[in-house]
Amino acid sequence: MRAAALGTALLTVLVPALSACGGDAAAGSGNATLKWTSSYFPTHWDPVVGGSGAQFRELALVYASLTRTDENGKAVPDLAKSWEYNVKGDRITFHLRPGLKFSDGEPVDGAAVKAAIDRAKKQQNSALFGDLTSIKSVDAEGLDAVIHLTQVDYQIPQLLGERVLQIASPKAAASPAELDQNPVGAGPFIVTQLIPGTKVLLKKNPDYWDAKNIHIDNVELTSAPDAATVVNGLQTGVYNFADIEPNQAQAAKKAGLEVFVQPGFNASNISLNINKAPFDDDKVVDAVRYAINRKEFVDKLTFGYGEVTDQPFPKGYVAYDPKSENDYSYDPAKSRKLLAEAGHKSGQIKLDLVIPAEDPQAEIVQSQLAAVGITVTIKIDKNWATPFFAKDLTFSLYGTTGRDSAAQTLTAHFGPNGPLNLSSPYEPSGFEAAIARVRQTPLGSPAYPQVLRAATRAGLRSKALIFTYSQPNLIAKSKSISGLPKNPAHIDWTGVTISGTR
Amino acid sequence: MLRRVLVLPSGRIAVAILAVIALLALFGPLLAPQNPLATSDNTLASASGSHWLGTDYLGRDVLSRLLDGSRLSVLGSLEVAVTALVVGSVPGILSVYLGRAFEWITLRLADTLVALPFLLFAVAVIALLGNGITQAMLVTGVLVAPLFYRVSRAATLAVARSQYVEAALLSGASIGWVVRRHVWVKVLPPIAVALAQTFGVGFVIVSSLTFLGIGVQPPAPTWGGLLASDLGYLSHQPWAPLAPALLIMITVWAGNLLADALRDVSGEAGRALVNSRKTRTDRPDQSEPAPTGGA
Repeated sequence: MRAAALGTALLTVLVPALSACGGDAAAGSGNATLKWTSSYFPTHWDPVVGGSGAQFRELALVYASLTRTDENGKAVPDLAKSWEYNVKGDRITFHLRPGLKFSDGEPVDGAAVKAAIDRAKKQQNSALFGDLTSIKSVDAEGLDAVIHLTQVDYQIPQLLGERVLQIASPKAAASPAELDQNPVGAGPFIVTQLIPGTKVLLKKNPDYWDAKNIHIDNVELTSAPDAATVVNGLQTGVYNFADIEPNQAQAAKKAGLEVFVQPGFNASNISLNINKAPFDDDKVVDAVRYAINRKEFVDKLTFGYGEVTDQPFPKGYVAYDPKSENDYSYDPAKSRKLLAEAGHKSGQIKLDLVIPAEDPQAEIVQSQLAAVGITVTIKIDKNWATPFFAKDLTFSLYGTTGRDSAAQTLTAHFGPNGPLNLSSPYEPSGFEAAIARVRQTPLGSPAYPQVLRAATRAGLRSKALIFTYSQPNLIAKSKSISGLPKNPAHIDWTGVTISGTR
Repeated sequence: MLRRVLVLPSGRIAVAILAVIALLALFGPLLAPQNPLATSDNTLASASGSHWLGTDYLGRDVLSRLLDGSRLSVLGSLEVAVTALVVGSVPGILSVYLGRAFEWITLRLADTLVALPFLLFAVAVIALLGNGITQAMLVTGVLVAPLFYRVSRAATLAVARSQYVEAALLSGASIGWVVRRHVWVKVLPPIAVALAQTFGVGFVIVSSLTFLGIGVQPPAPTWGGLLASDLGYLSHQPWAPLAPALLIMITVWAGNLLADALRDVSGEAGRALVNSRKTRTDRPDQSEPAPTGGA
């Protein structure tokens, strides 16, 4: 009896004390440090220049946006506590949280939002202006930002999230070149030191609107070394968080690290330019489509972590169109027949596959097309981005990490000026009308999923893109870091704790 | 000179290894048991009867890729050595005879090339000229050229001041004739040493560049490229980098060994060394009795 009482007393005293030594203790003591090495280390820290590619995840440490997405990919409040459309759907008003400020002391208000949108639309080196075509103008009214649209567009809350509108301090952004070196935002962390292309040190931002749910005190973000050495760095404690290649997953697991796949919208594709021979012949395009065995990409490149895809969305996502599944399944005999019908003998078609760096995908494409009689020469062009985005290439590879707005994903791939449409200004017939219907349909409407899938179907008629497989967002982390929110395509540090700091 | 090199055991080993490497370069692609570019579903397989060195990440036969890649790897390093020889030794010899302006310009150029960060310069030039093995090796050859410039200039300076050369010039011999008749034979031994050494250095450079994806376009195999791709799959095939790494190491070692042997047998001292070895080999039973007493 006495022993039981003593045990109870000890438990009463020790349990709170011991639990205080865990994760919260590390966070509370100011030593919870995230050591993140990333293969997507930002080349630019001005979000307008950085664009909406994979690097937005790192920039989101510094910058917050009007909205963010939840675990279902749906827009939820961030700097804006709420928003509403007018009845017609061509104007949206965002209501910002009161009392917020950027890390340089400037207020987060409607004027800051207006400045951010205006800069994204007008700055000469903006990578975002093509995403903001629905926005006509912005009025700043205290803590409200009233956005007037060029068309009815219910995608705006999805669009103005972390991918497209990370908001910088207007004072700092007055000199975009300086902002690129000294980022100033209202996000969860503040930059204390930045070595371009190499390393950035950050500390927790006590004025972040959700600071109470940020339990990381410091962040050391570094550019990832060679993929083969990242796991060693994780093992020795140089890093405690890293995105890794699938071929490193086994080594990471053996090293006692936690390996997981963060959900995402990744989709790799083969890009064809139908404005150039031989892809100006539909039969050649179809022959290439039937020659591609998607399963080989998954088997050889993802080590069981990826999956085949013939769309720019993962299966199960609201925009994924089951009716378009397997429209062009692997059929090399049919491919050879189409080439013969087009008047091409085996070996007669010779193509240059231009890519920015060595990529096993290219070697798979080369061998699969060789099997149907198309000779492919792989050419590595370190300056690949210039001819690709100028639509000068005939044949290339690309991979997207997706967008938070499904409509943005579709227009980026299939729209006449879509950056990922190598065949601009071509767009598949019916796509323009289908995407307009998506914009005109409120996100909460019961018809929205069907309208969106119809647009996906219309886009997939494009002859310019062959989707192949989905590369996983594979991450290895120390077990001292708690699980991340499963926010698709994002890396969200809300609620994440780090215990037992080194 | 080759005959003299073969007198030394180290020379014989170096020549034997380099002969095998040369045969690999010539006939390697023909010896490959399978198509080195043919992919299969049998990826990252261990060594077996059908794949002696296993398969790579795309299911290609590693032995076939090593054999096929030997030609590019060896030719690349030869291109480096020959480019460096031509670009370096010709102005090195001429700098002694073509006046102070030419001497000053070539010396400054050589200093500049030595000061350039090698890999950065190679990457920059390849970005300008396009990514190809010929461009990469030409750039590398030019960067290595100062070695030949200095070696050939030093040897020429020594010969140019000798009385018989001065006498030839005074008797009306042309500079070209003097260089061909008197200078070249004296410059050749140190240049041969530098050439053998540069072959080894060139091999490391070719391997480094292809390791970085510079110079050779995929899926063409090279030993350096194979090593680079194997490192990505260490947890699956920890033994895989051994074969290309050993080939690179042995070839570089043989190049350096040959350079040492050439140095040992060149000049009067070398001739004496070879002669003494020959004498010992020819009269094995007439060796002198061991000396008695202390040294």
